[in-house]
Amino acid sequence: MPPNGDALVLERVSKRFDTVTAVSNLSLRVRSGAIFGLLGPNGAGKTTTLRMILRIMIPDEGSIQMLGEPLGDRSQDLTGYLPEERGLYPRMQVRKVLVFLASLKGLPEADADRRAREWLERFELTAWSEKKVIDLSKGMQQKVQFIAAVIHQPKVIILDEPFTGLDPVNAVLVKDIMLELRDQGATIILSTHRMEQVEMMCDSICLINKGENVLDGDLRAIKASYGKNTLRVEYSGDGAFLNDSFFENINRFGAIVEAKLRPKADPQEILKAALAGGARITRFELLEPPLNDIFIEKVSGSHA
Amino acid sequence: MHKLWLVIKREYVTRVRTKAFVIGTIAIPLFTVGIFAITIFAQSREADHTLKIAILDNVGGLSTPIAAGLTEKLKNGQPVFEVVKSVNRPASSDAAGLLNQVQTGGLDGYLMIPADAVDGKGAAEFHTKNPGEITFSDSINRAVSDAVIARRLENKGVQVGDIGGVVRSVEVKLMKVTAHGESEEKGQTFVIAVVMATLLYATLLMYGMTTMRSVMEEKTTRIIEVLVASVRPFYLLAGKILGVAAVAVTQYTIWTAAGGLLGAYGATMASAFRPGASMPAFHLPPAVLVYLVLFFLAGYLLFASLYAAVGAMVSNEQEAQQVGTPITIIIVAAFLLFNVILRDPSSRLAVILSLIPFISPILMILRIAMQMPPFWQIALSLGLSLLTTIGVTYLSAKIYRVGVLMYGKRPSLVELLRWMKYT
Repeated sequence: MPPNGDALVLERVSKRFDTVTAVSNLSLRVRSGAIFGLLGPNGAGKTTTLRMILRIMIPDEGSIQMLGEPLGDRSQDLTGYLPEERGLYPRMQVRKVLVFLASLKGLPEADADRRAREWLERFELTAWSEKKVIDLSKGMQQKVQFIAAVIHQPKVIILDEPFTGLDPVNAVLVKDIMLELRDQGATIILSTHRMEQVEMMCDSICLINKGENVLDGDLRAIKASYGKNTLRVEYSGDGAFLNDSFFENINRFGAIVEAKLRPKADPQEILKAALAGGARITRFELLEPPLNDIFIEKVSGSHA
Repeated sequence: MHKLWLVIKREYVTRVRTKAFVIGTIAIPLFTVGIFAITIFAQSREADHTLKIAILDNVGGLSTPIAAGLTEKLKNGQPVFEVVKSVNRPASSDAAGLLNQVQTGGLDGYLMIPADAVDGKGAAEFHTKNPGEITFSDSINRAVSDAVIARRLENKGVQVGDIGGVVRSVEVKLMKVTAHGESEEKGQTFVIAVVMATLLYATLLMYGMTTMRSVMEEKTTRIIEVLVASVRPFYLLAGKILGVAAVAVTQYTIWTAAGGLLGAYGATMASAFRPGASMPAFHLPPAVLVYLVLFFLAGYLLFASLYAAVGAMVSNEQEAQQVGTPITIIIVAAFLLFNVILRDPSSRLAVILSLIPFISPILMILRIAMQMPPFWQIALSLGLSLLTTIGVTYLSAKIYRVGVLMYGKRPSLVELLRWMKYT
């Protein structure tokens, strides 16, 4: 594998179910050693795309290459998967489930057992390792499921909504482990609806809608291409300056307001108007648009 | 192939460790032995004290020969019956008095010989609180018959000393002829055939359902998504079916061993309950046992792949019941056809039925146990069944692959056909 090559290349991939086209002519590249965000509204074709990468489904058209090779039994062994719908054998012992799933990925059982112990230790689940899965809380089961996705040291890790159901402490733990795995050379594909996580963690993204790639590339570059067109302001007093002669849309989050400037609007004029109106400004900041806004714009744009 | 082995192993190990398996394996033979023991015990229940009886003789003069005919002895050497009172040509009040004594426990029973017992068709009556004791009524029956027959002979001028020895009938033994010789038949061939076919019927249903539930469990718990990202679906399906088959074969092995022990030591066990009790010697040629396992596997593979497809199609137990019913009906149909085979195991109808896939395993094993069919029929039956299994498994695998990832409404027939075309 070339050190800076592509971990994953999809070329003109399509998948249809009867009359529904789930994925249409989708091409994308995921750089090796990156955290890649796969975004899109519900029903956009994210799960189908992931399932094709995992070889759970075969594309009708197009090709998929992982680490320079077409998908096959080998690519499956090099992939780790945390599905959105979590599932383990409820009546099996925690460590046995992990050893079974790891050995299905080609790990010898002794190694699988040793790593299962290490990972359970790291997630503070050692005391539960002989318990049945069904006896664990939802959050603990999530952690076990996460271990199952990474225990065999996969080169490509696919995580579908990895943070749902985790408390803040465990969410930080999972985030740290993701960054650590990336630093060790793994490529992580993160599918989520939580845009702030994508902004914090992802190096590049692909936004798909109705099975098509509507936006992809380096996350910083994408945001930069929109320019600093968003104003974040904190104030007290009269808010009359926040009107649609300056702004395309205005998002109020209680104390903070985020508003997208009209193309010709001059921030200096806005500040003047605010002061003239008698508002006390405690924060006035020009930003690149939040990913959330780009998402909404792209998705509702292609709805039109 | 290593992954197939892992799937088989997990399925086998988790199933064999369940309480259901351990209980089923131990309980079923224990239950069989228990029934067997209770039967022997019930048969052998003996009076533990001498029974006091009275005789009301409406013929006259029969009391003495009847009392003389009741010769059974208890273990302690005392007679089983003691005639404490006999009345020649009694009045009706005598019967009422005796009835009262039986009710209050002063008497264990009284025997009433009607006036037309010798000349006509009158039936004797034995009145007792405890009519279930077959051994007692056998003795009384014999004593009364012997006395009455002796009187009839006397009336025709024939004097016989030992009437019992004269009227003893000759038993006609039924001998079963097989390729290996002859053995005495006391109905055990019939019993063994029905037991084996019923066992096959029950285990096909039981393990077919087990496979279905196991597929459903992986689907409803959603672990299937992780599994198919690691293993080809066909290996998952095959591993599951073979893993459950291994569980079944384990159970069969344990039962066969238990059956073998029962065959070898059954008579000893029977006599432990009652000295002298016997069991018809049933000896099963090993070939029959081998065929039993072979036909179980043939039937199981066929039905398990059908049941697995059902498990993949549905999302809950109710749907499984609905979709699984047609398959269950096929197995039950085989059960209902037992009679056709038992009536004449080599009739043309029996031969044809035992070749039809789906019902052939159960019906062929019935024929094999009743009367060994020509080898070509057995081979043809197995061959047809295996061919069908290959075809059915091919289609089931397609349904399985799509079905395990589909949630929500169960598919219509049209949708099923479409699933089979998916790549």
